[in-house]
Amino acid sequence: MSEAWRVCINTQTPLLQYLDQGLARTVGRDDRPLDLGSYHEGTDYRVSPGGVTRMVLPLVRRLGEMGAIRDPHWVSLNAKGPKSVRYDGLVLHNVEMSRLRMAGYGTIKEAVWRVAHGTRTTKGPDELLWTADFSEFAYYNRATAELLRRLDEANDFDVYYVHDFQQLPVGSMLSRAKPKIFRWHIPFEKGMIPPDWRATFEEYLRHYDMVIMSTDRYLRALRDFGYKGPAKRMFPYVDPKDYTFPSPKEAQAVCAKWGIHPKDQVILVVGRMDPMKGQDVAIQAFATLASSFPRAKLLLVGNGSFSSSRAGLALTKGEAWRAGLEQMIKDLGLEGRVVLTGHVTQPELDALYERSLFTVLPSHREGFGLVVVESWLHRRATVVSDRAGITELLHPGKNGLVFDPTKVASLAQDLHLLLDDPGELRHRLAEEGYRAASPCLLDAAAGEEVAMIREVVGP
Amino acid sequence: MIWPNLTPLGPALPFLYAGIILVVTWALARTVNRLIRSVMSESMPHVAASGSRFASVLIWVVGIVLAVQEIGVSTDILLLVVGLAGVAAVIACREALENAGAKYFSDVYIPFKIGDAVRVGEHEGKVIEINPMTTLLLTEKDQLVSIPNRMFMGQVVVNTTPQAWKEVAIPISVTSGINLAEFESEVRKSLSKLRSRLDPRFPPLLSGRARNPLTSDLTLTLFIRQPGDRDIVTTEANRRVSLVLEKLQRPKRSTRNGRAEPAT
Repeated sequence: MSEAWRVCINTQTPLLQYLDQGLARTVGRDDRPLDLGSYHEGTDYRVSPGGVTRMVLPLVRRLGEMGAIRDPHWVSLNAKGPKSVRYDGLVLHNVEMSRLRMAGYGTIKEAVWRVAHGTRTTKGPDELLWTADFSEFAYYNRATAELLRRLDEANDFDVYYVHDFQQLPVGSMLSRAKPKIFRWHIPFEKGMIPPDWRATFEEYLRHYDMVIMSTDRYLRALRDFGYKGPAKRMFPYVDPKDYTFPSPKEAQAVCAKWGIHPKDQVILVVGRMDPMKGQDVAIQAFATLASSFPRAKLLLVGNGSFSSSRAGLALTKGEAWRAGLEQMIKDLGLEGRVVLTGHVTQPELDALYERSLFTVLPSHREGFGLVVVESWLHRRATVVSDRAGITELLHPGKNGLVFDPTKVASLAQDLHLLLDDPGELRHRLAEEGYRAASPCLLDAAAGEEVAMIREVVGP
Repeated sequence: MIWPNLTPLGPALPFLYAGIILVVTWALARTVNRLIRSVMSESMPHVAASGSRFASVLIWVVGIVLAVQEIGVSTDILLLVVGLAGVAAVIACREALENAGAKYFSDVYIPFKIGDAVRVGEHEGKVIEINPMTTLLLTEKDQLVSIPNRMFMGQVVVNTTPQAWKEVAIPISVTSGINLAEFESEVRKSLSKLRSRLDPRFPPLLSGRARNPLTSDLTLTLFIRQPGDRDIVTTEANRRVSLVLEKLQRPKRSTRNGRAEPAT
């Protein structure tokens, strides 16, 4: 490599969420980025949970260590943050929007997300792209593109790396000659894009120099859609260094907080509070065998996403879904047997993985499913919905079990199998899973990312 | 000239008068500028902006000459030099000016853009660049053909791009004081009123053409449903864009949380 690239990352979800209102209003001296050195992670701010930030931050760190990039910048939506901050070698920039605009933006984002997850139905012509809400969606993307342009004037980037569907229009609005990479993180199924949206999607996509999809199936669907530009499949990934592996005793000590007894059989579901995550399917399946396994407990870990958090778009979806689940638990008489932990810290999550017997990913649709990789890293067997992208790495019965999330009985059968197992099956699935995780670990992915960036930027 | 009797001010008097002339010039230029924008509100925003800029320059030239005259400096030589320089420039750059002028008008009135397939005289190809002097076509044989822009004013131009008739391209100049994100949002909201005349599959598209510290040159592309709607859609879209520009040129107000939204 001749010289380190200057990269500008763009995501919707900010890397940091600011917990302290004073910090959110603080501005760096002379308009320079605010240094977070004197603030405390966990009380003043926290790293946003979620797949995109979990994946991109380790990548940026690793590429920096490899000398492939230098002075990276990261632009994201954050109405409740300082204009720019310096954190972990990165300069983070926040795009600001009024609450009113944010609401319109959120409506469109949610609509596109629902299309990708197969839950949006419209009768007659779809006028979404002509609504006032779409104007706010365009506002956000244009404001982002303008900020990226100004930063490029000051920093002369080599490449832009734009993440996820909310940012798709940015490429077409960013009139700079620099290469642009776009990574699509959510499902992309054949025939998914409504006919009325087709021309707009084509126009947005054609401005990128590379499009990355998470699975081979999504890449094929992109080609079927008619996209002819450069595109690749690259599995999402995590950095194993971000995880801790507490001893059984330490894990039990942490888990006592949620009333877990040392003899409990813990089934773990990790995912934000969202109907698409299928926690309801897990509860219903668990209900069918709760009396047969009196020591079994189902733990649902996760809170709302950035979109539903008060620090983010403040959509109420997460809270409403959680209330519905709580009611379902009550109706099924599972209080004390099904536990909703809400947001947990990374060490707590690691303890929960270590304490669990196995994990379940019950999503009705899942772009990939990095929680399965996390489960494998903790050497835990996993039961995965057949609607998750990661099923491309799964061989049912060998490194995991796969079920149809529309059939509760199918999941109940798998839960029964693993709860009843003396340990041999779970152990085998977990060990095979651990081996299957390798393409989704940063070590493998960083080299692939460097090769891809070199292909786009040039030698 | 009739001025009030301000004899006690003595030698400073001509400078005072010159200052007054400049203030009046400034006020007149602003008024005429607004008047032209209002009268031309249904013309291409690009043309309206040029018209008002030309009028402003003219008023300022006259104002400055009068002010200079007031302080006792002869303007005869100045006017002669400016006039001769202008004539010399026109003679020396006749072809370049013809092309630049043709570019200006073809931008506005000739329906093709970069990426379109066009035929001009015996040449046919895909438009890959439109610069102030020439338009570059890439032929099927991978050859570059440079067509002087003035040819587009004197020749029949055929746009052979499929369904090219659907596209209405409106060039827009947005001054740097306007927040581009806000402009885009407002234009989209305003143009949604025309959607019964527009192809629902193609919402308005705002793309950048050129940029300098003072202005961003954009193209607003609309896709009409019926060929007969071209004129009415163009006129109405021009009017709406002009209104948005006028609205956004007014002083900014803060957002609800008391912080201004990002500027361009």
